[in-house]
Amino acid sequence: MNSIRARLVLALILVVALVSALAATITYRRVLNETSVLFDYQLRQMALSLRSQVSLAPRIEVPPDQGDTDFVIQIWDLFGARMYLSRPGLPMINQTVLGYANLSVEGQAWRAYGLQTADGVIQIAQPIRVRQRLARAAALRIVIPLSLLQPVLVIFVAWIVDRGLKPLQRLTAEVQRRDARSMTPLSQDGLPREIAPLVAELNRLLERLRDAFAVQRNFIADAAHELRSPLTALRLQMQLLDRAPDEAARNEARARLGDAVARAVHLVEQLLALARSEPRETPVAFVPVDLATVSAQAVADTHAFAIERNIDLGLEAADAVPLRGDPEALRILVRNLVDNAVRYTPPGGAVQVRCTPAAGGALLEVDDTGPGLAPDERERVFDRFFRRAAVQESGTGLGLAIVKAITERHGANIMLGSAPGGGLKVTVSFPPAS
Amino acid sequence: MRVLLAEDDAMIARGLVTALKQSGFAVDWMSDGQSAQAALATTTFDLVLLDLGLPLCDGLTVLRGLRRQGDATPVIILTARDETPSRIAGLDAGADDYIVKPFDLDEVLARMRSVLRRAAGRGDPCIVHGALRLDPVSRTVERNGAPVVLSAHEYAVLEALLQRPGTVLSRAQLEDRLYGWDEPIGSNAVEVYIHGLRRKLGSDCIRTVRGVGYLVPKL
Repeated sequence: MNSIRARLVLALILVVALVSALAATITYRRVLNETSVLFDYQLRQMALSLRSQVSLAPRIEVPPDQGDTDFVIQIWDLFGARMYLSRPGLPMINQTVLGYANLSVEGQAWRAYGLQTADGVIQIAQPIRVRQRLARAAALRIVIPLSLLQPVLVIFVAWIVDRGLKPLQRLTAEVQRRDARSMTPLSQDGLPREIAPLVAELNRLLERLRDAFAVQRNFIADAAHELRSPLTALRLQMQLLDRAPDEAARNEARARLGDAVARAVHLVEQLLALARSEPRETPVAFVPVDLATVSAQAVADTHAFAIERNIDLGLEAADAVPLRGDPEALRILVRNLVDNAVRYTPPGGAVQVRCTPAAGGALLEVDDTGPGLAPDERERVFDRFFRRAAVQESGTGLGLAIVKAITERHGANIMLGSAPGGGLKVTVSFPPAS
Repeated sequence: MRVLLAEDDAMIARGLVTALKQSGFAVDWMSDGQSAQAALATTTFDLVLLDLGLPLCDGLTVLRGLRRQGDATPVIILTARDETPSRIAGLDAGADDYIVKPFDLDEVLARMRSVLRRAAGRGDPCIVHGALRLDPVSRTVERNGAPVVLSAHEYAVLEALLQRPGTVLSRAQLEDRLYGWDEPIGSNAVEVYIHGLRRKLGSDCIRTVRGVGYLVPKL
């Protein structure tokens, strides 16, 4: 039963039934009590009035009862012999009890009053059924109107509930009409207090979704834009290869074409790495990793590039730097940091990678002897496709965005500072494995 | 023809420089907006190839600055920004043409010729002057219908003089059109090319204004 209206109607029926039952019970009890007091009084009055008559005429022939009353009168003489029974044929127990008494005769309950007189005993008795009948009638007078009112109440409540739920139906219609990509907030005008918080939360969710979609859309637009440059270079070099006038020009064009292809491949790899380092619905399980081994691999990967640029690249690592994480992502992280350092350090400079266990976690530092970073650039370098002004090196602008995403996924903290040699110092601190 | 290339992507710039030189242009490459502004302030170019996303100073700013100074040098925008509002902004800022990356090299060269032709006030792609007919597409010259073989530099000098007949061009102006900044210039190279042209086309085709420079007489 998952309808508010049905639940309310059912609850109302139950409540009305319960109230009716309760009212009937109480009425029945009270009426029974009141009639008892009255009838008891009447029993006694009848006995008293009979006593005066009996004593005046001890052997009076009281005519038998005509049967139009439910009282039964019995009179006994001093010796216990019954002198009178108002309704012969009724099986009355021949017993005298003085004062009020409840008697049971052949399964029927009677109320009786016995009075001692000078000549004997007078007893008036009445079936209790009479009193119960009266009480029952009184109770029914309460229950019947309530029961008749029930359907009216049900219809009325159903109507009220329908009216109360109108804003919800309006809201449903508004949501149904919506375009799948429409992220505009739902109207909150005239909503009852009970529904407004739900709509407000929905609107907040829509807003977050809208932001997330915008980020995604911008990223795709940026990525497409960034792909144009390597593709332009590729096309250009291909056409130059076609029109090269001599063998030397052809060789040069071929070499440059190779560079352009390598650049396009690198950009695509970086885009993939970034996509993989974004949080996913099913996160990659973290496994124990030795950061020292990962760093050694990353330094080895970048070694050839460092030699080509005449950079002194070195690694200084503890024997083992245990960590929990995604080994492939960590390798990309270290490689990107080292690659960046080598790329932006002028030839003849040095890049030092340090890897140490620290406070239960691990510390990775990459120092270079390059120009460093201005403080206002230190936040922006983590933006996708950000490239520093007036730097000739053709990076993809994605390296540090990837690094940032991977550190966030590992709960690590990344800081940019100044290296002792005047260059840039990148510090990544990994938290203790918990 | 001297061309300024303002492009921050080294790989694209190097390719374009090679291609333009092969097509007989003298090219100067600037990799940021401020250097491009400095180059434009000190040197006369026949054409500017301008990237919009330049470091230090945006390409549109460079273009607006140029036009504000009353400089009508033809400008072709070469950019990765392909959205219509961006194209409109570029053309309205004073660009003569707008080419989106990745471009086709032949198309870039054709558009450069087209912009140069219009800048010279001509509709006919060929420059005709008396008996001379110069075809900028094939870079060939005919005299009375017969082809004349010219060296690349001779052709460049003749083209420069034929752009505006009757206007005197100094030796320095001609050198500017022949060489980029990074190319060595022979001390009497222009005299050599003028001499060659006179020998092949007739001595009266180019006149010397002593102490000033050279001109092709108006007809």
